Amino acid sequence: MSLDLSRANDFDTVVKLALYGITAESGRIPAIDAAADRVRATPAAVKEAYLRLRARRLLWLEADSVTVRMAPPFSGVPTQHHVMVDGIEYYANCAWDALGIPAALHRPGLVRSRCEQSLAPLELNVGLEGPEPSPWLFHCLVPAAKWWDDLVFT
Amino acid sequence: MLFFRSEELIDEWCRTRGVTPRPIVRMDQLWQLAVTWYSTRLEAESRRPAPNEMRSIFEGIGLAGDFWDPTADAFA
Repeated sequence: MSLDLSRANDFDTVVKLALYGITAESGRIPAIDAAADRVRATPAAVKEAYLRLRARRLLWLEADSVTVRMAPPFSGVPTQHHVMVDGIEYYANCAWDALGIPAALHRPGLVRSRCEQSLAPLELNVGLEGPEPSPWLFHCLVPAAKWWDDLVFT
Repeated sequence: MLFFRSEELIDEWCRTRGVTPRPIVRMDQLWQLAVTWYSTRLEAESRRPAPNEMRSIFEGIGLAGDFWDPTADAFA
């Protein structure tokens, strides 16, 4: 997938689009050097953009402020929520984001996850119009007002 | 934010952790949330919904109450 960086009207948006573009192409959130190469800027400049994007609740950073843990719906670390789209495997941050990856990519996908209590496997085909009929359920422990207090726990 | 195979298994999961079960969301509702949050995420002009937009998005698919209110202080 190739994103049109020429339409981005500020540096933060250029960085965001580059980060998401690399992730969409590869299935992995890039290291800051790769993002910096893509936008032809220094890692220090990209770090500043990351911090502003974090403040806008568009990214979740590790404590080093240069590693992107979450570029929702994509996860920077392996999780139990795997999503296969066009032969590329992605990790989602949570159940919501597992459906969010086909929605973000505008492509059909296959979600593989599990029931957290029984550990029964989930395989859910997601088309352009949504998931196939399924009796499975979604449960969120954290109320909406607290989601960004600790997004990893949420 | 997790998947479960049934409401009973959600109750079991909460009971073993001593936590209160929260509202349950069906897959068709979850898809609406996924599309609303993420369908423009790879575009230049995308943004997260503002709190008042979030409330109306949740209410529009039948998710109402303090749990879904991003400005609620009921859980402070």
